[in-house]
Amino acid sequence: MFKKILLATSGAPSTFGAARVAFDMAKRYGAEVVVLNVMGVPTKAFSHIVNDVRTGEEIEVDEEYRSWVEEELKTTFEKQIETVEYSKIVLTTGVPSREILRCAREEDADLIVMGASSGDSSVYRKGYPGSTLQKVAKAARCPVMTVHRETASYWGGFSNIVFATDFSKQAESAFRFALSSAREMGCDLTLLHALDISGKVLDQNEIEDQLIAARDRIRATYVPLMGDFKDFDIEVWEGVPYVEIVKMAREKSADLIVMAHHNHELDPEKARIGSTMEQVILRAGCPVVSVSKPDKV
Amino acid sequence: MPEGKFCNKTPITTDEQLKATLNDKGGKQYYEEMNHLEVDSEKLWGTIQKTMKSRLKTWLEICAHCGLCAEPCFLYQVNGRVPEQVPSYKIQATLGQIVKKKGKVDNAFMQMCMETAWSKCTCCNRCGHYCPHGIDMGVMFSYLRGLLYGQGFVPWELKIGAGMHRVYRAQMDVTTEDWVETCEWMAEENEDEWPGLEIPVDKVGADIMYTCNAREPKHYPEDLAEAAILFHVAGENWTVPSEGWEQTSLSMFAGDWECCKDNVANVYAAIERLKPKRATGTECGHAHRATVIEGPYWMGREDGQPPVPFLHYVEWLAEALREGKIKIDPSKRIKEPVTLQDSCNYVRNQGLKDVTREIISYLVEPGYFVEMAPCKEHNYCCGGGGGFNGIGKYREQRNMALRKKMDQILDTGCKLVIAPCHNCWDAIRDLEEEYEIGIRWTFLKPLVIKMMEVPEHLLPKDE
Ligand code: SF4
Ligand code: SF4
Ligand code: SF4
Repeated sequence: MFKKILLATSGAPSTFGAARVAFDMAKRYGAEVVVLNVMGVPTKAFSHIVNDVRTGEEIEVDEEYRSWVEEELKTTFEKQIETVEYSKIVLTTGVPSREILRCAREEDADLIVMGASSGDSSVYRKGYPGSTLQKVAKAARCPVMTVHRETASYWGGFSNIVFATDFSKQAESAFRFALSSAREMGCDLTLLHALDISGKVLDQNEIEDQLIAARDRIRATYVPLMGDFKDFDIEVWEGVPYVEIVKMAREKSADLIVMAHHNHELDPEKARIGSTMEQVILRAGCPVVSVSKPDKV
Repeated sequence: MPEGKFCNKTPITTDEQLKATLNDKGGKQYYEEMNHLEVDSEKLWGTIQKTMKSRLKTWLEICAHCGLCAEPCFLYQVNGRVPEQVPSYKIQATLGQIVKKKGKVDNAFMQMCMETAWSKCTCCNRCGHYCPHGIDMGVMFSYLRGLLYGQGFVPWELKIGAGMHRVYRAQMDVTTEDWVETCEWMAEENEDEWPGLEIPVDKVGADIMYTCNAREPKHYPEDLAEAAILFHVAGENWTVPSEGWEQTSLSMFAGDWECCKDNVANVYAAIERLKPKRATGTECGHAHRATVIEGPYWMGREDGQPPVPFLHYVEWLAEALREGKIKIDPSKRIKEPVTLQDSCNYVRNQGLKDVTREIISYLVEPGYFVEMAPCKEHNYCCGGGGGFNGIGKYREQRNMALRKKMDQILDTGCKLVIAPCHNCWDAIRDLEEEYEIGIRWTFLKPLVIKMMEVPEHLLPKDE
C-alpha cells in the first residue's frame, strides 16, 4: 500500500510521534522512509541565509551546517533508521509547506507524515502567514497523516479506523483510503457523518429526519463500494462536527481517523479558523489522515 | 597577494566556484582577502577612458556643490544629515577622486568606495529629481559599482549573485528543468480549483509572454500559479519561455556589466524565438528596470525599446481591470486604510505612478486609500534597494535606512501596505521584523485573486 513514506520533521521532540508512526508503517509495509528536514526559511539573497526553524536565529547554510544537521537527525532517529530497510535524509531550505510538497512530488511519495506542530513555529509564519499543515493538506497528491501527540503514535495492532465524511467529492478519495487501510490491516471501519447543527435552530423532528437521511446516504454512497468487506458500522451523530468526530474516535478506541480536506479558503489564516480537520488533529488521541486528491489512495 | 581565492577580479563562472564562495561563511575569507587585493590602476584608468561617457564626465564637472541634492536623499535624512551622506559629496569623494587621480588609488580607498557605493546609495535616483543640473547619483553610482566590480571590490553576496546569473542564468540555482517542472507542478496543483488552468511553455505567437523572478520558482511558486490564474481568468493567450524566463538582474546591482547584457540578451532571445505580441514580467521592480528600462541600452538597441512592447505587471493588471477582463467584486474591496509603496524602479524610472493608482481605484473602497507623503515619483526608497537588502556586511546601515519608510508608513496610519515590487516587499517585511510597528504587506496578485469575480464557466463543475 505504501512504497514511500515522506516524514517531514524538524527533528524536534514534537515530531517524534510522527517519526514513530512513519517508521513503524515503513517496517510493516517494507516501505522506504524519506526523512525531510527543511532547515530554514530563506531570509534574503540565495537561500543560504535562513531563519533556523527551531531557534528562529539567522544562520548560514553551508556544508558544515548541513552535515551537522544531518548528523543530528541520524542520531535522533538512529534506532528507527535501523529498523527499516530503506531510508534516506533529505535536507533543504525554503518555505516548509512548499518544500514538503516539492519533495513529495519529486519522490512520488505515497504518504506524508508530519507532526501537527512542527510546521507552526513563529519562524515559519513570519512574513509567510499560513499554516504549513493547511497548505500541505490542501495541495498534496497523496494522503497526509498528522500525528499531534506522542501517545497518538501507535501504528501497530489496529482495531478501528474512523472515517468521517461530509459527502464531498474529496471524501470519496478519503473513503477509498480508509477502506483499503482497513482491509490491509484487517480491522473495523466506522463510517461517520457528523451532522452539523452548530448555530442552527432545528427542532428534534427535523434533526431526526436529517439523521435518517444521512444514514441512508452513507449506505447508498459507500456500502456498494465495499464488496466483501463486512467489518463496518455506520454512525450519524449530530453536533459540532469536530467534537463528534473526536468523541467517536474515543468511543471506538480508534487508531486512525481518516477525513477529507477540501478547504477552498485561499487565506490560510481564515482556513485555520474554520477547519474541522485542524481541530480534529489538535484534539484527537490518534493519528489523523487527510486526503484531498484521488491520486494515491 | 594580488588576487585572492574568492576575492579577485574574475567573475564567478562555474558551479564549483559558486559553491566554494558560498561556503565561505559570511564572506569571512573573502573580506580578509580583500584587504590584500591589488588595485590595477592602469586597467581602472583604461576602463574609465573607454567607458565613461560625456554625460557622466560633464556631471562630475558641472556639479555646483550647491547641496540641493542633500535633503532629497533618504540616507542623508536618516543618518543625522552628516556631510558624508550628501549625494554630491558621496560621488565626488569616490568616483570624482578616481577620475582625478587617473585611477591611481589604493586598496583602502577602493574599500571606502565600496562601502559608499553599496551602503550609502541605493541607486533610487531620487536626488536626480532635485538637482538643478539633473545630476543623478543613482546613475553615477551604478557606474562606479561597475568599476569596483571590475577590480574585485564588491560585497560578497553580490559577487555570488552575479555568479548565479552567469552560471544558471538566474539569480538562484534554478535550472531550465527545474523551471519547466515547476510550471507543470503549479498547473497540476491548481487544476482542480481552476479547471483548464495551464502554464503553457514555449508557445509560439502568444499574445503575451511572461517572465519572472527566480525566487518564485525556487521558493514561492504560488506566485507563478497566481499569475497563471489571473491570465486564465482574463482569458489571456499567454506563454512562458523555457529559456530566458528569468528577468531579474542582481548583476545590475553588482556592477557586472557584461553579465547584465547577457541576462537581457537571454530574455530578448526568448522574445525573438517565441514571437509574442507583447511581454510582461512579474511584480518585481528592478527586474523591469533591468529588462525594459536599461536593457535596451545594454543591448545597443537603437530605439531604446525591447523587441516587443514590454509592460510592467502593474500595466498589465490595470489594463485587465480597465477592460473588464478581470472584475472585482465590489463587496470585497479593501475597507481599511491602505497605502501603496511606489517602487523607484518603475515609478521614478518609468513613470508608472498613475497606472498603479488606477489599480488602487478598483481594489480599494473610495476613501480608504492613503498616500504616503511624499509619493509617486517623489517617494522614498523602501530602504533596501540596489542590493542593500541582501548584503550582510551592511545590515546595520540597511536597518537604519528602513527608518524613512517606517516613518512614512506610520504617518499614514495604515496597517496594510500594498508593495508590488518584490524587493520593496522584502524591505517592508524586514522593517516589521526589525521595528515591529504592526503592519501587514501584500503583493497585488493574491489580493486580486481574493477579490475578483470568477465567471461561472471557469468554476469547478461539481461543487
Ligand atoms: S544638487 Fe546637483 S549640482 Fe547641487 S550639489 Fe547636488 S549634484 Fe551637485
Ligand atoms: S540615488 Fe538615492 S540613495 Fe543614492 S544618493 Fe541619490 S537619493 Fe541618495
Ligand atoms: S526596492 Fe523598491 S523602493 Fe527600494 S529602491 Fe528598489 S524599487 Fe525603490
